[in-house]
This record gives sequence, structure tokens and C-alpha cells, in this order.
Amino acid sequence: MSGHVKNMCPQLTISQAARTLLSLLLVAAIDSVSAAVVCRKQPCGSSLQRSLKLTKLIHKESVDLLKTYKVSQGDMSELFCQMSINNVPDPNISGLDPSERMLSIYSHCKAFLPHLKRVTEQQTDLQPPSSSLLSKLSTAHNRTNGLANQINCIYQTLFPNLPIPPEPVDGPTSVPPSQNVFQQKVYGCVVLKRFKEFLSRVTRELRTLKSQVCTRRTTFADTNALF
Amino acid sequence: MPSLFFCILLLGLRVTESQASGLATPQQVRLDADKETQKLSVTWEDSHASAFDVEILRTELMEIVLNETVGVTEDQSTGKHQWNWTSPVPLECTSLSVKVRSRDGQDVSEWSSQQILPGLDLPDNTDSQMYPEGKTVPVGSNMTFCCIVEEGQQFGSLWYKDTLVKVNMLSRRTYATTMTNQGPSNPSGTNVVCSNEKKMIIAGAVVFVGYPPLPSDLVCETHDLISVDCQWSKGRDTYLFGMTRQTYYTLNGRNCPKARNSNMRCGLEQWEGNWTLVARNLLGEFRLTDAAELGHRVRPVAPVNLTTPEVYSWNASVGWLWKYNGYERLSLICQVQRTSHLNSSTQTYTGYGLNTVVLKDLQPDEKYSVKVRCGSQKNFWKWGEWSLPLSFQTKMDRPVAPDIWLWMDSDNLGRVLWKPLTKSESHGQISGYEVILWSPEENSQQTLTLHQSVFSLPINVTDRGSKVTVTVTARNPAGVSLPANVVIPRHLPDAEDTTISRVAFNGSGFPLSWVAHANASCGYVVDWYNTSCTQDCNVEWTRVAADNTNTMVQSGNFFAGVRYTFSLYACSSESTVLLERWHGYMQELVPSRTVPRLSPNQEGSDVQLTWDQIPLEHQRGFILGYTVYLTNASHLTLLANITDPQLTNHTVRNLVLGSYKFTVKAYTAAGEDGGATVSISLEPYTYWLIMEILVALGAMTCLLIVITIACYRKRKWVKKAFYPEIPEPKLPGEWGITQGTLDVKPSPHSMVHIVEDSVWDSSKEALVTVPEEDEEGTGDEAADTDEPTSLRYYNQVVEEGSSSQRRPHASDSSASSTGSMDSGHTDVTYTGIQTSACSLAPMAHFQPQPDASQCVGGGSYRPQMQSASCPEEPQTGPEEHLQPPVGSFGGYQPQCSWKQDSPEADGEGGGLDQACLGSPTSVTSSQFLLPYDTSEEGKEHPSSASTWFHNLLTGKP
Repeated sequence: MSGHVKNMCPQLTISQAARTLLSLLLVAAIDSVSAAVVCRKQPCGSSLQRSLKLTKLIHKESVDLLKTYKVSQGDMSELFCQMSINNVPDPNISGLDPSERMLSIYSHCKAFLPHLKRVTEQQTDLQPPSSSLLSKLSTAHNRTNGLANQINCIYQTLFPNLPIPPEPVDGPTSVPPSQNVFQQKVYGCVVLKRFKEFLSRVTRELRTLKSQVCTRRTTFADTNALF
Repeated sequence: MPSLFFCILLLGLRVTESQASGLATPQQVRLDADKETQKLSVTWEDSHASAFDVEILRTELMEIVLNETVGVTEDQSTGKHQWNWTSPVPLECTSLSVKVRSRDGQDVSEWSSQQILPGLDLPDNTDSQMYPEGKTVPVGSNMTFCCIVEEGQQFGSLWYKDTLVKVNMLSRRTYATTMTNQGPSNPSGTNVVCSNEKKMIIAGAVVFVGYPPLPSDLVCETHDLISVDCQWSKGRDTYLFGMTRQTYYTLNGRNCPKARNSNMRCGLEQWEGNWTLVARNLLGEFRLTDAAELGHRVRPVAPVNLTTPEVYSWNASVGWLWKYNGYERLSLICQVQRTSHLNSSTQTYTGYGLNTVVLKDLQPDEKYSVKVRCGSQKNFWKWGEWSLPLSFQTKMDRPVAPDIWLWMDSDNLGRVLWKPLTKSESHGQISGYEVILWSPEENSQQTLTLHQSVFSLPINVTDRGSKVTVTVTARNPAGVSLPANVVIPRHLPDAEDTTISRVAFNGSGFPLSWVAHANASCGYVVDWYNTSCTQDCNVEWTRVAADNTNTMVQSGNFFAGVRYTFSLYACSSESTVLLERWHGYMQELVPSRTVPRLSPNQEGSDVQLTWDQIPLEHQRGFILGYTVYLTNASHLTLLANITDPQLTNHTVRNLVLGSYKFTVKAYTAAGEDGGATVSISLEPYTYWLIMEILVALGAMTCLLIVITIACYRKRKWVKKAFYPEIPEPKLPGEWGITQGTLDVKPSPHSMVHIVEDSVWDSSKEALVTVPEEDEEGTGDEAADTDEPTSLRYYNQVVEEGSSSQRRPHASDSSASSTGSMDSGHTDVTYTGIQTSACSLAPMAHFQPQPDASQCVGGGSYRPQMQSASCPEEPQTGPEEHLQPPVGSFGGYQPQCSWKQDSPEADGEGGGLDQACLGSPTSVTSSQFLLPYDTSEEGKEHPSSASTWFHNLLTGKP
């Protein structure tokens, strides 16, 4: 790219550092543009369908994850999830119109990520390295991150004029401070339970959004095509 | 609630002040708590005593936890007394009050001011809590847990793992339990939870129960002759996981971060000679040591980059590289393990910096896999790791000579057989076989090239007039094998004379032994085949060295229940000689079928059972004999056990008449077969039956002859006894007839009316019988044949001349009757005169008119046969019966008075003859009135028979 620039402007003298900086900027710009293109190239139904499948997968895995978690926590762990813990994201999706609800899904995904990471860290100290719980927690974290990116992409595609706020719209839910071991067990159980409930709601929400938003956009597109 | 607590504190202070003595009261009592270790440190000043009373109470309930006298010396540097106490109950559970007083023997000072260690169950701390939390304790330890209930809630229960435990109340909100001898917990710890009255968990704690580390077997060695690598065994499981609870290791004070899980090893960069391993976790530590010189702990690394610089048919060289240059000066001992599809073997090589070896005794065209490991030859310590395997294939070589044999399918036809070459014999892919038939006497040679899958060649012995040598060679891409020869002699010895014995399978094979033969110059050959095979049999053979007189015949083709024939041949350069034969079964089974053609033969009261031998292929064992059973339903009764297998019949003797079922079973060493069953029903002997009949007939004949002779000789007596002479009647007057006196009485039922005949009016009056019934009824009866027939006899008045003319065979009685007719007007009444209807036939015969039926007679009297004569009668008016035509019906008609017995009497005239069996007998005459038939035979036979009999009785010839 720098050569290309140099060929176009052979008379200019550009220092090596400036050329490197220019190259980085160009690559970053291309990346951002290509990402946006990828989001916009996806048909409405296809993007939502892909996200819906991913959500179903994560939800299915979250059910298994919660079972594994309870088994790994010892006796009476079935009752741990019934205890109340603060600062765990609420599974409910807020918002009135589709854009707000999409944004709520995105922010919830982002909000659950640090909690999943914290639970993974805590359980790493409580489980043998070969425990399947650790791998499942790690998988759930990674898939949720991917789901958040997909939701972000769909949001940009469907609502290109609406910016995504940097902070979750439902307010930050910081990970809890230091906890004792029992609190860690209870915390992890509550996080995974709400995570499962959230994914269930996301599944329903994406299904609804797919039928509402995509149909409306298709109608608009057809109308525009007629004129 | 705070006010109540304050009152309790004031009350404690008041009690303390009430005690006073000369000893100084401890001042500035101070409590320092280490809640993690549950240790309470009590310090005080201004007291020179060395003994103190310490009292600890649970502040809220004022329960004494501790009250004892302890010796505490003053710390000279600080001037303070310090006493430590470890509480069995977590210090967070509830508030503790501590007070101290000095003691000197029995003298005590006043109690110090009460110091309170506040617990976490104070009212301002409203949350539910459980203590201790996250502690790590050794297995078997005792531990007290307390649950502080949230303000406003009621305590429910306390659970350790999944066990509900009993609790003690420590304060208003605190309940505690003590667990003793705790077992190891799972990786995430043991849960202890507390629930409220609604059985909802309100608090919980986790305790980790495990063991301190206990490693063993620390061993340090070097691989590169510089650094050290130490390994040890993890030992007992600690049951503790996680960053804080896991076991950490240090070697000579340096951490071993890679010592995790089961990989218990740690390395140092330099050889130090002495090593100390410390294993440490929250519950303790353990030390291991090791010491050694470097030269005694050399364990070479695995060779790398194995290659085969040279590969031949029977040997190859293998080389490798060493990772460290120091090995060049190290005396090494190396093992090379080579593996082929045949076997696996290991060879050892030595040398300084050894990096190449030559492998010998390889097989041509064989794939080998080799791997190498080495050790220090001097002060050998341990073998190093095996290298990665290297595979190579040796080159091909010409095959070995095939093993050939001559097998005679019959006297004239044989086959030259050779065994397929095995992988180790072929030395490469066999491309074919070459067979040369060479007759040195005829100097002829025939060469055949056969496919690689052909292993036999048919030979016709009779076509050849001289000895033939057969040479077989195998060919592969590397060359041709050495030839294998077999000689076909001009004359084959007769094998029938060879004795055959039996050989038993001993689990691994058939052991055969024989007497050494002088002509076995090239050893012996034992061949075997399925005895029941007739064509293209699979023949196997094995060769035995000349100095051996026994062998164990083994094959993977032996099957149970199959008879094999083993033949021993002595091999010489000229020919082979059959020496001995054996029969044997790998495993004898019961016969697979029953004896064929089982049949019974009755011989009087004996039954001989015969059957055939079971075919050889179905015997499946040596037939030891047969058992004969008598079968009753499902029950078998042994009749005989025939131990001679050649005997195939058996006679069951002395059987009574009836049905029998016999079962014959052949048996081998394995047992009996299913049994063939045959049934026989014993019947009387036919010839005897015929004889008995003949004897009976003969006896009867003799008896009749004797009776006849006797009767003949005594005929007069017999005649007198059975046929006495009837005196002739002596008739007065002018009776023209000398015989035929008829003395009858009038029938009470018949009336004879003398009527005048219009035709014969001038001469005589006719006798006419009048039936008892109405004449109209007579006509009806003639029409209805179902009515019981009542024969009525109508005597007929005829002229004497005509009577004698038309009835030449009339009986005497008829004659007498006729004679009586001559009297004309004589009043004669016939009663009970019986005659047959056949007498009507002559009458019908001489009645010319066609309408004159048998019932309607002529002009004379005749017997009246209503039922017998009327069926053929055409229907006529009753007047014809009542008033017969004048002139054709004259005279009286005697009435047939007996009743016809046989229904056949309703038939024709012939039937009437039979119906009239029995002679009408004159009441006054003893002579029989025999009926006569209308036919010629009927006319003659009775008369002839009666005549003969009469002549017999009368002695006339």
C-alpha cells in the first residue's frame, strides 16, 4: 500500500515512520469497512436466523452447563440457585420497540461476559484441571461473546442510524468483590441460572424480531422498488 | 435488644468488683483474636503473680466456656502477661467475655474487668452467616460450625453434606454443631448449610478436608550429562485442589512449577549431587532427599533420525543421531528391537557413541520395524527411552524348494502335491511353478509351467512303463528355487495288507510312533486325510527325520467327528514304502445319524432285527457296538448290548402276540446316537393257522364218513327210527286209486259249497271255495301287495284224465286229491292244506286265455294266492273276481291258510317258490307234502333229492 501511495505521488517525500502509520490507518479503515460490509451484506432473515441458531445452541449448552455445575458443587447444591445474590444481570429483556430490545440483548450479552469469566476463575480454583465444567464455562463465555458480536452486527444492519451506547443500557452489573467459597458456589449457580433464563428469552425475542423487523423491511424494500 | 446486652455487661462488672483480695488485680486486660485460627490472645499487666484464673463466658447467655487456672509468666521486656487460647468454636459465632484474676495458692485477687470479644451475631449485623468458611483441615479432625440466623428469622436446620445434624444454641441467633472425624472432601469442598424455618438456605460454609502431601521415590538423573532431572511419586492423594490448597514442590529451594497432576518431575540446570524435595500444602509439608554422582545416573535420551543406509535380502544396517554431543565419548549399550509379521526380537550392541548397527538374519522380502534405546555401559543406570520406530523392507531372494509328495487317489491315478510356500519360504511373490516329468529309462522329459495358485498335478501311473521322477521348482522375481523331486515307481505296493491301528488325539496332536525302518534313508513321511473322502481329498503330510521314530501330527485342519487316516512312509531315493496306518479322531462324537435299514422279521415268537452299518462320514467316532431297546412310550428298556460293531442283527426271543417297538442305537466313545425305531405286530403263525383249519376239516370229514357208514349199515334202524313204515290204508269199496288216502277233517274256517257248473252241469257239480271274506275284499287285497299275504288254497276239480295229463309230476297228495275229485259229489273238506304258489304255474300254463291270471284258475279248482299272484294282475273290476266267468272257474278252491313269512313272496313266481318252503302236511298223513317248482329244476331236484333220500332210507339203489 505504501508503494502504491508512493507511485501515485512519486514527487512526495514521506518518511518511513509516516508511511508505516499511514499503512496502519489504511488497514484499520479497511477492516472497519469490511466488517460493516459483512454486516450489511447479510440478508435480514439470514443474520437473525444465524443468531437464532447460535442462541439456541448456547441455551442448550447452558442447560447442560447448569447441571454440570450443580453436580460439581457438592451436596445440597440444588438449593444454591434459590439464594438471592445481588449484582447478577437480570435475565429480562427491556425496551419497547425492536431497536431497544435488540440493544438490551446486546448489552445483556456484554453484561454476562464478566460474570461468566469470574465464575470460570472461581471454579478453576475449586475443580480439578480435568473437570469438564471448566471447559464448558469457557465455551459458554466464548459463544456469548460471539453472540454479542452478531447482535451488534444485526443491530447495525437493521438500525444503521442508531448508535450503540458504549455502556450497557440496563446499567452496569459489576462482578462482585471477593467472596468466600460458599458465596462463590452460590454466585456461580445464580449466574448460570440467569444466563440460561436470559438465553431462553433471547431465543423468543429473536424469533419475534425476525418476524417483525424483517417483514417490515422487506415490505419497505418492495415498496421502494415499485417507485 | 442493645439495652439487654448492656445490662448483662453491667452485671458482670458488678460481680467482678465484689471479689477482693491482697493480690493485685490484673489490669489492662486486652483481647486479640485471630479468627482464622480461632486463637484468642489475652494480655494483662500490673501483676506479679505467676498463676491466674481465666474465665471465658459466652456473653449473651453467660455460659462458661472456660474456667481454669493457667501459669503465665511475665514478659520481662514488655512487663505483660500473655495467654493464648484456641477456641473450638469460631470466634465469629458469638461474643465472649474474658476476665482474669491472679492466684497464689488459695489466694486470689479480684477479677479483672471483663473484656468482651464481640461476635458477629450482634444486632447491628443482621445478615445470616456461617463460620468457619473455607477452612482446610486434615482428615479425621473435629470441627465446630455455627450458623448465625438473620435478624428476624427463625433457625431451621443445619446440614453437613447431606446429613441433618444436631445443633446447640450459642446465642439468640447462633446455633452450632461439631463434626468429628471428618472424611476427605470432594474437589470443591464439603458443604455445610443452614436453613431457616422455611427450609430455605440462608447461609453456608465450605470446608476442605484432606491430607498433607506424602511424596516418595525421589530419583535424580541426567540425560545430557550436564543438567539434572528429578522425578518422584506423588503418593497419597491430598484431596485438595485449587491455587491455595494444592501441593507445591521445591527442589533444592527452587520452585517446581511443572510438577502438576501426575507429572511429578523437576529439573535443575546443573548437577549438584544432593537434592532435597519439599512438598507443601496448607496442611503440612514433606521432605525427600537424593544424592548421586553424575556418572552413575546417566540415562541417555532416545536416538533420533533413524535411517537404514543399506538394506539387503538377509541383513541391513540401521543408523541414528544423538541429541547431545557428549554421547560421543560415552560408552553406550543399545538395544535394537526388530519386529516383523513373524516375530519380534531384540539384539544388543555396544560402543562409544554408538550410532549405527548391522541387523543380521533377516528374512528376504520382509517388512521390519526397528527401534533403539540405549544406556550407559559403564555404571549402567537405566535404559533410555525408545526411539521412534523405523520401517524398512528387505530385498527378495529366490524361494526355497517346495515340499512335494505323491498321493495316489486310486491304484492308477495319483497326484503330485506340493505345499504352498509360506512368506518365509517364498522370499518374494511366487510367480509360478515348473514341473518336470523325467523318465531316465525312456530318456523322456516333459516340462509343465503351472500358475502360482496350482499346487498339484494329476499323474496316471498306468500310462508309464518305467519309473518317473517328478521335479518341482518355484519361481519368484528373484529367481528359481532348488528342485524338489519325487519318484513315481513302476509298481506301487499294495496298501491293503498294511495293518491299521487306532491313534488318539492327545490335545495338541496325534502322537505316532513306529519301529525304525532300514530303508528310510531320507526319513519318513506321514500323510493324513479325511477317511471318508473319496475324491480330491485334502492331503497333508509332514516329514520326519530318519533318526526319529515318532512324531506329533498337528494341523489346523483337524475337526471333531472326522476320521483321519494317517499313513507312514519310509522315504528312500528310489521310492517310498508304506509302513503303517492309523485311524484317529480329534474328538469322537455321537453318530450323526441312526443305523440305516432297521427292519424286523418275525420268526414265530421271535423277532429278528437287522440293520446296516452307519456310513463312515456319519459315524463320527469308532462304533463300539449297538444297544437294542424295547420302547414303551418314552421309556426304553435295554434288551441287548452288542459290543461287536460288525454284528448288525439281533433276535429278540419268546415274545407273546402283540405290538412291539424296538430302538437300536449305535454308540461311540462319545455316546449313543438318537436311535432308529421300528415297530412290529406279532400275529399268529399263518402256517399253523392253515394246519389247524385243515386238521379240523379232516376231522370233520372223517366224522361224517363214519356217521355215513354207520347210518348206512344201520339204515334199517334209522329208517325205522325216523321213517317208520306207514301202513297202507285199506280202503273198502271201489277205490280205483290204491294210494293217496286222504283223510282230512273239515276246516273249521273253510266251507265248501257245491255249486253247479253251467258247463259241466250234465255231468258233475263243481267244488267252489268260498273265501271267508267278502269277494270284494279279495280283489282289493290282490291289488294291495303290502298287505300280509294270506295264501288260500283253492282246490281244483278236474277231470281225472286231464289232471294226470297236465301235471305229470304232481305229488302223491295231489294225486290223492285228484283222486278224491273223482268221487264227484263226495263231501270233502280240506283243512290246513298247505301248498305252494308254484302249484299255480302249471295251472297258468294250461290256462289258454290271456286274461286268465294266476289268481283266476281254469275250470277246475285251484289254490287261491291272493298276494303272490295278484301283483301282475291287471286291474279289473271287482265283478270279475266276484263272478268269475262261467265255465272257466268251476269247482272248489281250497284256501291257502299259512301266512307268508318272507317279503320276497311278493315277487315273482320264483319268489313264491321260496316263500312256500315247508311242505304242507296232511293232518292225517305223516308224509311230507313237498312243494314242487314250476321250473324244470324245481320240478326235478326236489323230486330227485327226495327220491335219493327216500331210496337211501329204504335201501334202494
